[in-house]
Amino acid sequence: MSTTASPVRARRLPPRERPGAPMLLGHGRLPRVLAGTALVVLAAVWLLPLVWAVATSVQSEQDVAKPGLSPFKGAFTLDAYQQILERGNVTVWAANSFLVAGLVTLITVAVSTLAAYGFSRGGFRGRRLLLTVTVAAVMVPPQLLVVPLFEQMLMFDLVDTYAAMILPQVVAPMMVFILKRFFDGVPRELEDAARLDGASEVRVFLSVVLPLSRPIVAAVSIFVFIGAWNNFMWPFIVTNDPGLMTLPVGLATVKDAFGIQYAQAMASALLAALPLVVVFLLFQRRIVSSVATTGLGGA
Amino acid sequence: MTTTTPVGAPAPTGERPPVVSPRRRTGRRGPGPLFVLPFAVPFVLFLVWPVLQGIWMSFTDSSLALRDTSFVGLDNYAEAFGDPDVWSSLGNTVLFTAASSVPLVLVALAMALLVHSGLAGQWVWRLSFFVPYLLPVTVVTLIWTWLYQPDVGLGNELLGALGLEPVGWLSDESVAMWSVAALTVWWTVGFNFLLYLAALQSLPTVFDEAAALDGAGAWRRLWSVTLPQLRRTTVLVAMLQILASLKVFDQIYILTKGGPNGSTRPILEYVYDVGFTGYRLGYASAVSYVFFALVIVVSLAQLRLFRQED
Amino acid sequence: MPGPGPAPGIGRRRLLRYGAAGASALLATGSLTGCSSRASASDASALNVWDLFQGGDGMLMDDMIRAVSKGSDGFDVDRTILDWGPSYYTKLAMSAAGGRASDVAVLHLSRLAGYAPGGLLDPFDLDLLAEFGVTEKHFTPAVWARTKHEGVVYAIPLDVHPFIVFYDRDAADRAGLLDTEGELAPMGSPKAMLEAGKALAEVTGKSGILFGHVTDTAQNWRQFAALYAQTGAAFTLPDGGPAEIDTDAAVQVVSFMQQLFDGRTNPNNLDYNSALAGFLGGRGGMAMLGEWELPTLRKSGIPLGAAPFPQVFGKPAVYTDSHSYVLPHQSSPDPARRRQAHRYVAEILKQSLTWASAGHIPAYQPVLAEPAYAKLDPQSSYADAGKVAVLDPPNWFAGAASNFQNRMCQPLQSALLGNTSAEKAVRQMVREANTLLRQPNPVA
Repeated sequence: MSTTASPVRARRLPPRERPGAPMLLGHGRLPRVLAGTALVVLAAVWLLPLVWAVATSVQSEQDVAKPGLSPFKGAFTLDAYQQILERGNVTVWAANSFLVAGLVTLITVAVSTLAAYGFSRGGFRGRRLLLTVTVAAVMVPPQLLVVPLFEQMLMFDLVDTYAAMILPQVVAPMMVFILKRFFDGVPRELEDAARLDGASEVRVFLSVVLPLSRPIVAAVSIFVFIGAWNNFMWPFIVTNDPGLMTLPVGLATVKDAFGIQYAQAMASALLAALPLVVVFLLFQRRIVSSVATTGLGGA
Repeated sequence: MTTTTPVGAPAPTGERPPVVSPRRRTGRRGPGPLFVLPFAVPFVLFLVWPVLQGIWMSFTDSSLALRDTSFVGLDNYAEAFGDPDVWSSLGNTVLFTAASSVPLVLVALAMALLVHSGLAGQWVWRLSFFVPYLLPVTVVTLIWTWLYQPDVGLGNELLGALGLEPVGWLSDESVAMWSVAALTVWWTVGFNFLLYLAALQSLPTVFDEAAALDGAGAWRRLWSVTLPQLRRTTVLVAMLQILASLKVFDQIYILTKGGPNGSTRPILEYVYDVGFTGYRLGYASAVSYVFFALVIVVSLAQLRLFRQED
Repeated sequence: MPGPGPAPGIGRRRLLRYGAAGASALLATGSLTGCSSRASASDASALNVWDLFQGGDGMLMDDMIRAVSKGSDGFDVDRTILDWGPSYYTKLAMSAAGGRASDVAVLHLSRLAGYAPGGLLDPFDLDLLAEFGVTEKHFTPAVWARTKHEGVVYAIPLDVHPFIVFYDRDAADRAGLLDTEGELAPMGSPKAMLEAGKALAEVTGKSGILFGHVTDTAQNWRQFAALYAQTGAAFTLPDGGPAEIDTDAAVQVVSFMQQLFDGRTNPNNLDYNSALAGFLGGRGGMAMLGEWELPTLRKSGIPLGAAPFPQVFGKPAVYTDSHSYVLPHQSSPDPARRRQAHRYVAEILKQSLTWASAGHIPAYQPVLAEPAYAKLDPQSSYADAGKVAVLDPPNWFAGAASNFQNRMCQPLQSALLGNTSAEKAVRQMVREANTLLRQPNPVA
């Protein structure tokens, strides 16, 4: 299928501006109605769990436990949210999540961009070997390394520290690979011109290369941030102290004295979901395109 | 990570030929190795080292408890191959991969085709299908634990309204894995949906238009024009999805802890169970590497398949 | 026991740590590692306490913590509750291995053999405890004996929580099972218990004795262990195997269980919750459960009686476990905090009357002697269970919420459901035990 164009370019063509798109359904009424119905049903099925969770979260525990198919079985109340916020755990975990995901993104993007540029421009011994190992490492699922990584953290005396959560997450061979392919496609004339003007390599990178790569760096950053924000297994394994846990880990691990209370469970789930959903609403187009770009390995 | 972490897929398409300037061949100027160093150090420390350390540990009786370790040769591997729990959890992993990957590809494709058909409200559709993907795993499991709640959960309430018997969504051995798969499809399909949508939007429209001029109907054009054009994307999405599903741990661990009676326990949870719950880090490493071998075989097989597609 | 106990496991890992400290400094993460657990916690001075109590127990523990937090020398407690079961024990072990564990944690006494030998717990300073009014003589010998590893005390028991029988007083009365004081009369033989089941079934018009076990990871083992201990036979799990199990006694016990839960008089196919619901709904006259179900049962309004698990074989014995306090291993404990930890344990023990209201028998004997305890009904009717307490055979893989209990339950479940014979089930249990024993012991 050599005619398949790259999805990277897709974002430049929002669907409604494409003249061909509506043609897919032809001019008949029936296909449109069928497609529309299917779409509405699918979207309803996909939104139902969230709607149900929201409805549950704004009722009292007693009302929630009543049988019946109605989403609202009692009076509206924000008690569940109030209790969750008063307990304060969710706020601590959210702060930890921002700290960890933020630092992971910052460090990953910085070191990956530098390395990708270095690999792309080459000119040093061992480049081929290191590049080959990096590409091969894409095949190593990080989940398979949790046991030796934990042993390593025991050795470094880092279990139950932020460093232990962050450091292993900054190694992202896939992102280096994606960025390198981008740099491979960037003409070198501008850099060379800057070099002729006497600019240092660091300066060339910062003032010539980086501005050109803003879109891809943004895409990679978004992708890394979503990944780090939602990462569960490694932070779960390496933290035991509730004061250090990220949102997904804390919510899954720490219980409260009363036992399971569904209104509160839904309230805390929705509070934990909020930050990324807000980010998505703000940067929808960028996130969509970054998933398309990085998801297929920058194809 | 979520089940759709897109690692494991090597270069899917041929690289664009790098723009080679004459200066490059002389190698006179360039960023040099210092640019690679900040990546290389953590790469060696937190990826290469653990890979090697894991191999070493798999030959020892390394324990979580604070005591000395000794070399045990191939004992751990011998034990792993004879351990029925290794095989049953591998079986569960494969079952989950099949049960989740097929709908994760097909439903994503259907969603993308429907959205791409140009109906109004693009924004709403994309939001509905993709938002679950942005939720941390625990949020998803909290919500679905509630939906699967046996007495007043939505699942059994719906069955009750239809006059059906309640189902032990997470407590029935023959149902639990399907419940987990359903949750996973809901959670991560949005990612594949976006990949398909991006591919659809970049398809050249000439073939479709030509077919339409020839009088082909919508259905016909879907089968004969659009789907064949999506073949490559489908192979890619399926590859990524299979590798991601094989690595399932998070949602199963939180939802069922591998139960009831081990019926949903994937291999990665078995690694966690024997390594951390059972202290036997050495044995857990050996089990990891048995699984690693499987992942590599699947990756290489997929790579071959993909090359042939080209 | 002055001073710390043996310091196990200063091995390769610790040595490597010092070397690695340099490496991590090189990574310029010094500032990050500095933000280790204690420093980052919201208030660094609070005593960190871990437990696995939710529901009724969880709220009573809240009350007890509130009680010891009052006053000028009250504690500032940062309580963490984790899910009951393997996930709690995994996190406890991992935090202790990491060296930044909580100051105090709850541990089932039956799990001690999986923690103390591996260096995952630090020993108690008994002099310090004595200073706060808690000494060996405050506990029953049967329980105290299980707090030690190699002669060193690693756990201070909070309670004893036996597997007992609850009964409907009216039904038991009509079935003629009560003594002159209105308590459950001793049974004394397997036949007597079978008869009791029949009599109760007649009275209720449904079932006699309810027991939920299907897909449960402990109930069958509790039932079996309770009866097996009464035969007087030994059940020991020596490292490397083979397991020392009296198969004749075991077959006798399993056959009796099959007879008792025959599917007619007493149902054989209930899971935990349906057995509980059945008893609450009056569909049975007696239920075999842990005493921790007392708060739930009491709410039902059934005229509730309770008794130690009836003795039907030769020797008085009650299967039980014990929530105890331990000091998870810390690589550099602060002496002042350690002192506070000891005082906290002592103070909480003195609150155990509150704890008893959930059904648990306080391990701290002075509370049992209080008149207020004698008034607790039905708790006081099974208070003697602590004296004949039998816990899981000590081994690193056994104990509450362990893989061992789960594996023992599978063949027992098959036997009760009629899918296998008592002999085959016992052979399977022996095989499972031997498989576990053949695994290298990771804590030795």
